[in-house]
Amino acid sequence: MHLEEETFHDRLDLKLWGQVLRHAMPYKRMMILLGVAAVAIAVCDASFALVTRWAVDDVTNMEQGFNPLPYVGAYMGLAALLAFGVWAFINLAGGLSHHMSHDIRRATFTRIQELEFAYFDHRPTGWLISRLTSDCDKLSRVIAWSLLDLVWASSLILAISVILLVLNLKLGLIVLGVVPPLVVISSWFQKRLLLSSRKTRKYNSFITAAFSEGIQGLKTTKTFVREKANLKEFQVLSDKMYDYSVLNAIQSAVYLPIVLTIGSVAAGTVLWIGGVDHLAGAVTLGTLIAFIFYAGQFFEPINQIASILVQLQGAQAAGERVLSLLATEPGITDSEHVLKRLEANSNAQGSPGMAPDGYPAQIQRIDFRDVSFSYEDNEPVLEGFSLAVNPGETIALVGASGGGKSTIVNLLARFYEPTKGGIFIDDVEYRERSLEWYQSNLGIVLQSPHLFAGTVLENIRYGRLNASMEEVEQAARMVNAHGFISKLENGYDTSVGEGGNRLSTGQKQLVSFARAILANPQIFIMDEATSSIDTETEALIQKGLHTILRGRISFVIAHRLSTIRSADRILVIDKGKIIEMGSHSELIAAKGHYFALYTRQFRRETEARALDRVGT
Amino acid sequence: MRPAAEAVRIAWSLMTGYRGRFALAIAAMLAGTGLRFLVPLVASGTIDYALESGNGSSRIVQFFERFVEQSWLAQNLWLAGLLMIGLTLFAGIFNFFKGKLAAEAADGIARKLKNRLYSHLQELPMRFHDEAETGDLVQRCTSDVETLRLAINNQVVDVSHALILMGTAIPLMFLLDFHMALASFILIGPIIAFGYFYIKRVRHLFQRFDEAEGKVTSVVQENLTGLRVVRAFRQQDFEIEKFSGPNQEYRDLGLRLISLMAIYWSISDMIALTQNAIVLGLGIYFISAGELTVGTLFAFIMLLNLVLWPVRQMGRTLTELGKSIVAIGRIQDILEQPEEGRTGEVDEPAGAGHIVAENVTFSHNDGQVALQEVSFEVLPGQTLAILGPSGSGKSTLIHLLLRLYDYQSGSLRFDGTEMKDLDRKWARHQFATVMQEPFLFSKSIIENIRIGRPSADEEEISRVAQMAHIHETIDRFPSGYETMVGERGVTLSGGQRQRVALARALLREAPVLLLDDALSAVDTETEEIIIDALKKRHGKMTTLVIAHRLSTLAHADKVIVMDNGRIIQSGTHEELCASDGLYRRLWHIQNKGDDPTPTVATSAPQGT
Repeated sequence: MHLEEETFHDRLDLKLWGQVLRHAMPYKRMMILLGVAAVAIAVCDASFALVTRWAVDDVTNMEQGFNPLPYVGAYMGLAALLAFGVWAFINLAGGLSHHMSHDIRRATFTRIQELEFAYFDHRPTGWLISRLTSDCDKLSRVIAWSLLDLVWASSLILAISVILLVLNLKLGLIVLGVVPPLVVISSWFQKRLLLSSRKTRKYNSFITAAFSEGIQGLKTTKTFVREKANLKEFQVLSDKMYDYSVLNAIQSAVYLPIVLTIGSVAAGTVLWIGGVDHLAGAVTLGTLIAFIFYAGQFFEPINQIASILVQLQGAQAAGERVLSLLATEPGITDSEHVLKRLEANSNAQGSPGMAPDGYPAQIQRIDFRDVSFSYEDNEPVLEGFSLAVNPGETIALVGASGGGKSTIVNLLARFYEPTKGGIFIDDVEYRERSLEWYQSNLGIVLQSPHLFAGTVLENIRYGRLNASMEEVEQAARMVNAHGFISKLENGYDTSVGEGGNRLSTGQKQLVSFARAILANPQIFIMDEATSSIDTETEALIQKGLHTILRGRISFVIAHRLSTIRSADRILVIDKGKIIEMGSHSELIAAKGHYFALYTRQFRRETEARALDRVGT
Repeated sequence: MRPAAEAVRIAWSLMTGYRGRFALAIAAMLAGTGLRFLVPLVASGTIDYALESGNGSSRIVQFFERFVEQSWLAQNLWLAGLLMIGLTLFAGIFNFFKGKLAAEAADGIARKLKNRLYSHLQELPMRFHDEAETGDLVQRCTSDVETLRLAINNQVVDVSHALILMGTAIPLMFLLDFHMALASFILIGPIIAFGYFYIKRVRHLFQRFDEAEGKVTSVVQENLTGLRVVRAFRQQDFEIEKFSGPNQEYRDLGLRLISLMAIYWSISDMIALTQNAIVLGLGIYFISAGELTVGTLFAFIMLLNLVLWPVRQMGRTLTELGKSIVAIGRIQDILEQPEEGRTGEVDEPAGAGHIVAENVTFSHNDGQVALQEVSFEVLPGQTLAILGPSGSGKSTLIHLLLRLYDYQSGSLRFDGTEMKDLDRKWARHQFATVMQEPFLFSKSIIENIRIGRPSADEEEISRVAQMAHIHETIDRFPSGYETMVGERGVTLSGGQRQRVALARALLREAPVLLLDDALSAVDTETEEIIIDALKKRHGKMTTLVIAHRLSTLAHADKVIVMDNGRIIQSGTHEELCASDGLYRRLWHIQNKGDDPTPTVATSAPQGT
């Protein structure tokens, strides 16, 4: 769970909202109609009291055969107009909100797909998910409803003000006199209400986190007899939430009576001054009654405006986050002249054997030339790393964790790019080549095999979306996955569950091997792919590995001896440097680092196997 | 689902301690509502009596006549205005108390309930938690409690408010004018019914809308957790395509919901305004016929406005109340579960650490036998090593000692007392445990270690951290021992977590140390250093150690080898080395680097 402090902006950032509003531009017509509907509703709201005034005045100047129908008709006409306006308003505002939130979410999702790995290093998944869900919703809701409620509320205030001043200047000024205090008090309270409700929500999320941690860590709690201490810590949170929640309630319990009383000051004064004037014959009874009605009608729109302005301030943080995500340019993309070449070649239709960027499609050699790399101005992970890989060669990388093995592989896959030096594909630096073409030629198997919710078939086909059923099966057979798949309930159409959790880790890894091999990559990468699986699966993969590695350049990071031994060349990496290099037998004979690593691992694996056998 | 009556009974018992406050809140609301009704009556009486005298007589006018002269009031109209303001102010004060008291009651009940749930969950046996889902429990403890809080704070109050309004406004209006009152309430029934049935009809759509949102979230989540796979296969376009389906569905459901709500609100507005129009039309008709005063019509219009809004909300309020009945049931499901039993006293002094097991048998919830007739004895200060493949029952044995589960037959004694007769908490105080996958709390490292013994000082903590060979690693973190663990701080590796957990256990100073494969993720060299440090404690603490690597086990006084819930071999290191079996095979691998049994197909390193 990600718990972040929401910042509250004291001032309204108009520039920011202008930028957000740009996302509403495709729906300009809806916006205009909405404005019309809002004004129409406001005018109707303001006119009901006029009908009442008219009816009362006419009935008090009584003539014979008074007919109430015209008044009822006028009232009902206004009512019908208002109901239609409300219908249109909700439809338009809601529609705008959902359309915008859909569009912003899509744009954000697309941008996330383009951003480089480095962007994700310091941003937890939960953080990004809230950007895509709650932030997008919040923004579009604020835009659609708030801005248009703002139009409605200010139109209503304007309409009532005009009516009041036209009907009777003196009484009108009296009623309008309560507007300034209402504005001041409303904005003062609205801000505090928002802050306390936000604090309440914050503690609510702490409480949720505490419940889930309490349950997950229960065994530890019980064994260390920590129940009381935990409860005490929990009570601090539940007390805080109580305090803020009650504070919020008290704030609104003070706020509402105050504004109602202010409204009654206007109404009472109208009754007094208006009553005196009426007795003097200067004001009709209908006008007097209408004014008392209007005095009570000011509160709602002013309350709305205050609450909207505060909400806009509160949603500013969400706006900033989403806009800055959308404004982040991907750091790893095709350079301008690569793009130009891609365009030139697409016009020229390209010759056979050529990649879309005009260079040969076949990858023969890979050269790391004096490559250095560091993650975001930290200590360098690699310095002056050089390595020439021959056609079809398998390179194994071994060594302590944190030594730079994964970095080498990440650079090779162009998930990151060297900070110094270059990586060359047949003497062309890979940044001169098309990113999409290059990455489409990689096959990667990771340590923790991640599958998507869906069927086995869909997951394997992820390697190449247009592969036929035969090709999928062939790939599965190649990595010895076909056997277990065909024994599953629905064979290839078996659903693997969220994250592939209905399969064992070993089975998931077999599927991910099949997926990688289906892509028929020119470069094959295994990043600790055999370290988390059982001995049985390892044996299955081992059998298929020769076919997989044949004819491709391969990079293998591994602990398992069987995987390492099948490499053509073994590199022992420590602190970003190659400290030993050679074939398995050469390095064993040298009795150096590799020898030590190997014997230790050998002992572990034999022990594990001995234990496994007892278990069967 | 429980019947509504039972839910109400449960809710009533949950309100213990807050009932008085809640009753006061209702009383304050009654007073506030009553005062607010008087405001339009003052205006109405003033209009008829002082401003339009001769326009006819009404009940209010008759009431006014008793207290003031018509001419005096006409000259002192400010008094009527002041009365309006004063009444509103007093109504406001009562409403303030209503809001405050109701919130204190509702939030107080929610707080009490959350504390009780948290404590209860901690005291429930592991058997309950093995079958429960964390997400579901958390939801019951948070959103269901919130639903209940809202029910008490808003819905019950709203319903009472509406009832009070109707209970006072209806007689009052009938008192003022019988025919007008009848006309005023013609459409009240239809408004409530329309709201109730409409909201009920569209409720499933709200649910589908929530589900669609969940689907969008889960696609985003899948995409982000599988980010490396997406990039590895360069399937960004496919992912965008995959996202757009749920994204569009979410939007389209939202649009449908909006169009239904638009119909609801416009029709509801229309009915309410029609009600107003009826009152206005009939009112002016009666006035023209001389049967009604202008002031009374004014009072009717104002009163109707006060009544209409809460009544229009009733439909929604009633459906929300229905939700809270479900929520109460879900909360009660947890509270009804029996807690782990307690026996005896906690404050008794620590024991010596003498453990005897005789024919202990245990099977899990699903009936699967985990331990069968297990017998052994560990004397105080001795070390017992347990060896065996995964699933052989080693961890279960540890769980029984900690009384996380209760054995079904046989005898397990601690210092001569049957463990079932010991207080659970006292028994747990006798052990310092490191689990296979140790759990660290999202606190700082020092707080995590201090859990072992809350009274420990910093020096003692750094001493045990050194013994667990984690001190230097912690020191290298920018914030040292204050570094936060988990998402808000550093992510520790498996080996680092195990070593922090070991330090935590070593700090405990309990008579027995339990190590359940506690160093499996620690590299071999570090493991040896830690084992050496632990050997110095040999003789002071009874130790039970489960491990896969023989190096961890070799110094034990006694070794038992387990398989399928049974002990298949036991004895000292020398005895086990002398007889054929798993222990001897492992010993060979450890010392000579090979496995003497021919079934192992792997070749030995070529260098040896």
